[in-house]
Amino acid sequence: MTGGYTGKILRVNLTNEKFKVESLPKEWIKPYIGGDGFGAKLLFEELAAGIDPLGEQNKLIIGTGPITGTMWPMSGRTVLISKAPLTGIWGESHVGGFLGAELKYAGYDLLVIEGKSEKPVYIDIQDSDLHLRDAKNKWGLSTDKVTIAIKKDKQDPDVQVAAIGPAGEKQVRYASVMFNHARAAGRTGMGAVLGSKNVKAVAVRGHGAVEVHDLDGFMEFAKDAHMRVRTNPIARGMSRVGTWGLVAVKQEIGEFPTYNHETGVFDGWEKLSADYIRPKYTIGDRACFGCSLGCKKVNYVKEGPFAGTLEEGPEYEGLMAFGSLIGIDDYATTLKGNQICNRYGMDIISAGATIAFAIEAFVKGAITEKDTGGLKLEWGNREIVIKLLEMIGKREGFGEVLAEGSKRAAEKLGRGTEKFAIHVKGMEVSGQDGRTHRSIALGHATGARGADHLRSLVVVDQLGYEDVAAKRWGVDKLPEIIDPYTEKYKANAVFESENAYCIRDTLIVCWYTVSWPPIFWMEDFAKILPLATGENHFGNVENLTQIAERQVTLKRLFNAREGITKKDDTLPDRFLKDPMPDGPGKGQIVDLEPMLRDYYTLRGWDLETGLPTEKTLKRLSLEWTKHHS
Amino acid sequence: MNQTLINRAGGLHAKDFRVVMSDIVDHEVVYLPSQLIVDFNKCTGCRICELACSARHEGKFQPSLARLKIVRYDDLGMDIPNVCGPCETAPCVDICPVFAMRRDPITKMTYLEEDKCILCKSCVGACVNGVILLDTEKMRIIKCDHCGGDPECAKVCPTGAITYGPDSSSATIDRHGKIVSYLKEIERTDKVHGTGAE
Repeated sequence: MTGGYTGKILRVNLTNEKFKVESLPKEWIKPYIGGDGFGAKLLFEELAAGIDPLGEQNKLIIGTGPITGTMWPMSGRTVLISKAPLTGIWGESHVGGFLGAELKYAGYDLLVIEGKSEKPVYIDIQDSDLHLRDAKNKWGLSTDKVTIAIKKDKQDPDVQVAAIGPAGEKQVRYASVMFNHARAAGRTGMGAVLGSKNVKAVAVRGHGAVEVHDLDGFMEFAKDAHMRVRTNPIARGMSRVGTWGLVAVKQEIGEFPTYNHETGVFDGWEKLSADYIRPKYTIGDRACFGCSLGCKKVNYVKEGPFAGTLEEGPEYEGLMAFGSLIGIDDYATTLKGNQICNRYGMDIISAGATIAFAIEAFVKGAITEKDTGGLKLEWGNREIVIKLLEMIGKREGFGEVLAEGSKRAAEKLGRGTEKFAIHVKGMEVSGQDGRTHRSIALGHATGARGADHLRSLVVVDQLGYEDVAAKRWGVDKLPEIIDPYTEKYKANAVFESENAYCIRDTLIVCWYTVSWPPIFWMEDFAKILPLATGENHFGNVENLTQIAERQVTLKRLFNAREGITKKDDTLPDRFLKDPMPDGPGKGQIVDLEPMLRDYYTLRGWDLETGLPTEKTLKRLSLEWTKHHS
Repeated sequence: MNQTLINRAGGLHAKDFRVVMSDIVDHEVVYLPSQLIVDFNKCTGCRICELACSARHEGKFQPSLARLKIVRYDDLGMDIPNVCGPCETAPCVDICPVFAMRRDPITKMTYLEEDKCILCKSCVGACVNGVILLDTEKMRIIKCDHCGGDPECAKVCPTGAITYGPDSSSATIDRHGKIVSYLKEIERTDKVHGTGAE
């Protein structure tokens, strides 16, 4: 087998309670590499169009890449892929932790979960010892308790567990799957898929090895890569404060989403900033598998209403979702909100954004106490937020409505509330704002899974890395390409970033050090992939770019099959019609159409429909997709 | 002849001082007897050490055969590296019925003479750090040898949680500092508020 891969796919059919080990098709490697690529190929071939994401026919893939479990920095990551309950289209969620590497050591590149179990079970994988175990006494437990219980059952602290909480069981549309207590496969509702299949958890333990093609060459380059991470000044800052450093930066550039994305500056930002949090709350630094950066912070609240809260996180997105987005200037609240989301198993961004939606609808008079069951919603009220989170996790009262996500909640509530639902294709917008950062407007609008900040977010323009931009895209595109207030060249930046991130997601490595800070890029992948796999085809940036383009277009075809066209590649009116009310970007607004046209042209998609053209299908060898409808 | 006694330097591309200073005539560099020293406060639980260890000794990435072990406590947010030594007394040596496990009187390092080993696994059970293993595939005892005096784990550790140098008793005492104070704080607040930690 080619180096890096284990060469096996493990399938578990919950309906007939059977495991099946298949060999990984060799012909997949060259065109798809691994991770997202294998997932897209498999899901497109095996799912029929129009199926219910929460039905028996949906499948959930837990995927790894060729360098997962090796010494390359941040290579323990995993991807969960399925048709998304939140959006009804392509769903994927990447997660750190240790399970990906463990799955490789157990001997599998991919785990495919199919069918539906009659009773609650957990999937127990220990090398070639495969079992479906009864999870009746674990149903209803929070994610941390399940993880501990399974480790106790197995009498092995090294078992890696991916678990859902009560939110996943209740099929909250944005339920997450939790790893190591605080690592979340958060977005698009992968937890609900597991919940719908009656799978409480996946436990993996492996004792095998991952072997690479050229160990000496690989180790030399990998050690060098670790040194590049360790000596990078931004990466060093992240070791200290994780992504919290972004709060001050985003406030400064007017892109810190506040009051349900109404504005981009928040008065109380200082109490959510790194310099304030770290000395007051942080008690430890942690890392995921193989990571020399270590952005995870263990925090502990000593006093106040949430005293005694001990939890990792939240990230910048959590500070935004439970902080500025709902007008709360208190770190302890965001930590508590983060803890509730982790234990119930819910996506932080969607949970925060859905609550912000409800608050705005209430404050502006579209809904009343009749809808909320007597709750009086207002900006900046921390008790209400915590209460709502618990209600959503249990699907109780008004929580039942909010558990459907902001798009469905608005449809249900009506009365003009849809203008407060800040989502794209059903997925809530993350902590960016296209008005003061044009490239993310395009990224949010075109992302395969909805308003996505992880598949194409260009950081180079946002934070002004002129030298990096010149190197990647050529001096001739400066200064426009790094000007966040112009649409010009933004499609180029998004196109190339999305391609590089695609390869990142097939390897699979972390967002950090690839996307931000910009340390590794295509040329590094082109060097490490041949060393790992022995496949010289990967040693060339053009080939990798084509693989990435194939993958983006394949995901697009998956969505097209579900009815997505150009009309869905849009943004909430808030970004298109309401100019930024204050801050440094005051008056800025997004003009999406020209960026979309540039982007479609680069991707080879039709300018009117937004769908891949015949020529593009041929160029990317995707004609086989026509036989699966 | 002049002599310089020095500690080992860490870092991924550590220089061997004996090579650096080999041009100086009549001068010898002598490394002090060293041990692997662990600082819990700095460990992030990334397990790069396990990867590098297995790559060096097994030629592949296989943490289950690494000569050291990171134990992660996700519920407490703590990570504890377990390495071979420093041990005041060496249970693995004491228990070995055939004197295959020996201890160097100067460096205090324990080492295994594989020819003598009868695979009774007594040392596996006796090791207080749990880092002596039985490889059930090749049927052999796996035991840290400090990479012959140049341990890979200390070189790759990104935070300096594992270092290699002369053992001092303060390091042995320090390594319990974090866990003790930490658990005390948890206990204190648990009484008042309840942390949910188990």
